[in-house]
Amino acid sequence: MEIPYIVEPRKDTGLNNSKIAIWLFLASEVMLFGGLFSGYIFLRIYADYPWPERTLPILPGLINTFVLIGSSITVVFAWVALKLRQWRKFQIYMGITILCAALFMVLKGFEYSAKFSHQAIRLDDYTVIEGHAYPQEGQEKKITKNFNIKASSLTLDLRRVDDVYFEELDEQYEKGSFHLGEEVVKSNQPLDKQGKVPKDAEKLNQGTAIDKGIVDQAKKDLLNAVAHNSNIDIKLGRQAWKDVKRSHPGVKYYELVQTTQIDPDNLHHEVEVDGKKTLKNIVDEHLKVLKKKFVENASKEEAYRTVTPALTFVPKGEAFISVNPYWGQLKNKKEGEKSSLVLKDGTTIAGLAGDSSITMRVDGIDFRHTVTKAEEKGITAEAAINNSWLLKDEGMKLIWDKHLVVMAKLKEDLEAKGKEPHENDLYRINWQEIAGLVDTSVGDLEQMDYKAIKALFPGDIEGFTGPNHKTVKYPKIVVPREQVRFESVFSPRWNTYYATYFTITGLHGLHVIAGALVLGYYLFFGRKMYNENPTWLANRVEVGGLFWHFVDLVWIFLFPILYLM
Amino acid sequence: MSDSHDDHHDHHNPGFVQKYIFSTDHKTIGLQYGITAMCFLLFGFYLMMVMRWSIAYPYEPLPGWMSWLFTEDWKAQWLSEGKLPGETYNMFGAMHGTIMVFLGVVPLGFGAFGNYVTPLQIGAPDMAFPKLNMWSYWLYLVGGLMMCASFFLETGAAKSGWTNYPPLSFFADLQHPHQFWTGQTQWLLGLVMLISSSLLGSVNFITTIINLRAKGMTWMRLPFFVWAMLVTGFLLLLAFPPLEVAGIMQVVDRFFGSSFFQPSGLYHQQIGLSDASGGGSPLLFQHLFWFLGHPEVYVLLLPAIACVAEIIPANTRRPIWGYKSMVYGVLVLGFLSFIVWAHHMYMTGMGPAVSAFFQTTTTLISIPSVILLTCLLISLWGGSIRFTPAMMWACAFLPMFGIGGLTGLPLAFNLVDLHLHDTYYVIGHFHYVVAPGILFGLFGGVHHWYPKITGRFMSKTLNHLHFWPSLILMNTLFFPMLVQGMAGFHRRWYNGGDAYLAADPESADVFGKTVLEHIDLNIMMSWSAWLLCAAQIPFIISLFTSWKVGKKVESDNPWDACSLEWATPTPPGHGNFIEEPVVYRGSYEYARPEVEEDFYAQWRKPVEKSEEG
Repeated sequence: MEIPYIVEPRKDTGLNNSKIAIWLFLASEVMLFGGLFSGYIFLRIYADYPWPERTLPILPGLINTFVLIGSSITVVFAWVALKLRQWRKFQIYMGITILCAALFMVLKGFEYSAKFSHQAIRLDDYTVIEGHAYPQEGQEKKITKNFNIKASSLTLDLRRVDDVYFEELDEQYEKGSFHLGEEVVKSNQPLDKQGKVPKDAEKLNQGTAIDKGIVDQAKKDLLNAVAHNSNIDIKLGRQAWKDVKRSHPGVKYYELVQTTQIDPDNLHHEVEVDGKKTLKNIVDEHLKVLKKKFVENASKEEAYRTVTPALTFVPKGEAFISVNPYWGQLKNKKEGEKSSLVLKDGTTIAGLAGDSSITMRVDGIDFRHTVTKAEEKGITAEAAINNSWLLKDEGMKLIWDKHLVVMAKLKEDLEAKGKEPHENDLYRINWQEIAGLVDTSVGDLEQMDYKAIKALFPGDIEGFTGPNHKTVKYPKIVVPREQVRFESVFSPRWNTYYATYFTITGLHGLHVIAGALVLGYYLFFGRKMYNENPTWLANRVEVGGLFWHFVDLVWIFLFPILYLM
Repeated sequence: MSDSHDDHHDHHNPGFVQKYIFSTDHKTIGLQYGITAMCFLLFGFYLMMVMRWSIAYPYEPLPGWMSWLFTEDWKAQWLSEGKLPGETYNMFGAMHGTIMVFLGVVPLGFGAFGNYVTPLQIGAPDMAFPKLNMWSYWLYLVGGLMMCASFFLETGAAKSGWTNYPPLSFFADLQHPHQFWTGQTQWLLGLVMLISSSLLGSVNFITTIINLRAKGMTWMRLPFFVWAMLVTGFLLLLAFPPLEVAGIMQVVDRFFGSSFFQPSGLYHQQIGLSDASGGGSPLLFQHLFWFLGHPEVYVLLLPAIACVAEIIPANTRRPIWGYKSMVYGVLVLGFLSFIVWAHHMYMTGMGPAVSAFFQTTTTLISIPSVILLTCLLISLWGGSIRFTPAMMWACAFLPMFGIGGLTGLPLAFNLVDLHLHDTYYVIGHFHYVVAPGILFGLFGGVHHWYPKITGRFMSKTLNHLHFWPSLILMNTLFFPMLVQGMAGFHRRWYNGGDAYLAADPESADVFGKTVLEHIDLNIMMSWSAWLLCAAQIPFIISLFTSWKVGKKVESDNPWDACSLEWATPTPPGHGNFIEEPVVYRGSYEYARPEVEEDFYAQWRKPVEKSEEG
């Protein structure tokens, strides 16, 4: 028997197999995107920070909406063409569909890359500044946000030390000529009969320079020693419990018993000792005896081994270390103060904090979070903003003063219509406003009405994917690291809105690519099937088209939710 | 083979690889699922045995027979002087749950039985999409192996419970330089693979059942097994995607540092203030997780009930009682299972209104469950019961699943749950459902269809050696859990409560004294668990040896059953049926007066009236 209804529909259901399957698949997809949309609603309702509203440039999203709708139409035309057995027309319409998909992804790519190069900082008082970060002083061009430290010691956690981290920092380690501060016994050296490190044990000498080979060997020795010691412990532990259980039959952990000292050589010869203890204490004591005996009798092969879990290196003279902020945490960020940098692989660099400030040109200032936080404490918005760290900077203060003038004009404008300005207007200065105000003075602004001011701001075409730092000279600011509460580019990391935006649009983008690949397969490799079984190909294109419509539909929901609301 | 140019070949001789490894035949895939799932089940069982050592004997090093599987380095890293530290216990606990649920029982019930039996019962030559079926298996295998291989990573396997709640799971392995190579990330990626696998599987099952039914196989003539698979398919199809979303969100949290599930101001003792934006919600994860989590319970259960519903009529020689109510019951069950999820979350402070809603729906769902169980129970009434091995398991399933189900009722109530939440009572409840309930049903299924698969019966003696100890030990293992749970034993104590007990009778520590009263049960339960493992050995022996030396079947229909799978040759070849089957009646037509035999098979041509006359 062969599988029926691959091409022809079954009479009672009226459907062929793949039609049923695609609808089921789409139902599952609805649940998938439904889960994401529910997540969006949940996160937005419970957000404890000002939700970014209408911050994405609308134009690219709008164009993309029409591009996808257009492609949904052409995919139907392509299917109709197949039904009418017009191969040429099918090729044209399907080609347009796939070009639309490509155009969609290109526009999406522009949007993404604009976000990934746009920096944001949440200051300690919850003020948010946005802009472009510039290289740190004395650093290569690309480094903008590293943690810098003047190292006085470097400790490697040998169990966890990571090759990639080590190699990446090796050059800096060499530059500081890090070397062992004092003599260290190597791991995996047998202990002597007193359980101590023998004098002739192999050592790493004082002054040994830091080196990958030495670290690797020390790591290997350490792991071997730990495994060896652990085996002895397991063996002795089992022995101890066996002995104690034999001499205390039926006794439970928590029962207090008259303690007896166990002679491991003669289990029936027990010595009574005063006081009551639990079984566990008795085992602990017995284990001590067993361990002592083991140490005394063990051959060099069997004996416990030395364990050196970490190596501490010190630099000759001054050593600067500069590390990617995602690799570790700088404990104290204030320049010149005692600090330590702990990397994710356990490497600890101690010393004085260096200059880790972030230099940026500001194209957005947002006091909304500062205001909510201040209002929780009963402080007025005005006071909170005036006391903020940011307005201590003259350039920023100037912008803010201009903004206050603009707001006064806006209020006048709205009052005439019986409305009030939104807190988004009051406490947030967006890039259009900064770009518009950067070359005007407070005096000039006071002469203009709101409409005239608004005309200074760049329009949609000018800001297709956001602020353009080539045409506008945005004001510069240097933010010391201790003022930074949180920093990130506009990636999923920045806040839950962008996390949702990138996750949903990213998944949607993957669907677009997958759909385009399938439709492209029919376009470029469908000819053979068209010749053999055109109905089957038409069915497949229909199924692919249903998927394509779904992808379009998701975008139609996504666009207003992410761009307009 | 779905390729067009293969359509006109009636016979093909695929090579070994195509026939047994990358096979597209639903029967081979079913067996692959079955064997893989059983291996995972054994591994999950092993993890549990190690955990039970730590519970019963927290201060003693693991015995040699338990730790031989570990490598030297592994012991050095994850055992402390041979004992199980809390972190390792958590790892084993998390992986035990994950393996048993996602890699063991679901693939065994849905993947193995569903794949092998469903197309046969509806008279189809194969699944609607054989290649998707193959992909479904391989995605499952790769996902499962990814999860298990993570035991050998530097960070060990996932440790945040099978529920994987953030922010616990967010901090897990966060301080590792290479996020991809951490147990937590591998767990998440493995999960995404498993979900993709079940998506392919469920689309395939539902399409097959809707479109590939044989001539005359109307909906109400379908065996209950097929109905159960259809509902299971829909549960997998619709409930899994939200968990996939949650998994993807956690992956994004890990790789791109987002804060979907991290609230503001998150602090960790070792790491300090978390370097994440905050503003997310751990509660969101719980909602997404349990939206899957509860339907998942029925994904586990329905295949087992399905097996029992086939075994009982065949061995009582009478129709199943209340076929229609069972069908409607299972449909209602499937629907209701989507709106009960938050009864897992009473302790999160959702508020009384939400809790009351979920309490109501949860008590409602017990109605269809009771209908199913009652119908199966009444089916025994007045039957001439043959205690075949399969029937023994089916009979044991009924009371065991009954205990599991009824112990769940108190948990549905918000107020009672405040006391019982996260205690051993919960563990006892769902293990009664899954182990002596679902697994017994599936064991029955193995015995029932084994003759069709191999042409030989499994050993009756070995079955007795397997069945009776299992039945007793399951109860001595799980019943004390209910007792301990009501006394307040927390489900995640790695030392069995030793840290809490007050040994001194004069002590004012009331809880400590309660713990003291019940702590000795740990030893009985642990020994039951280890002996239970030994009790599975006869089954494993029987499973493999009967293939070659078992008693041969004398006909294609050794149980004299009515459903279509028994109309195929033994074992069924590629394409299943020699001739296209035609169905004339329902699938439980036992003891009908029209025919001399006590069964009137679905495919048997109707007896002419005149002949009867």
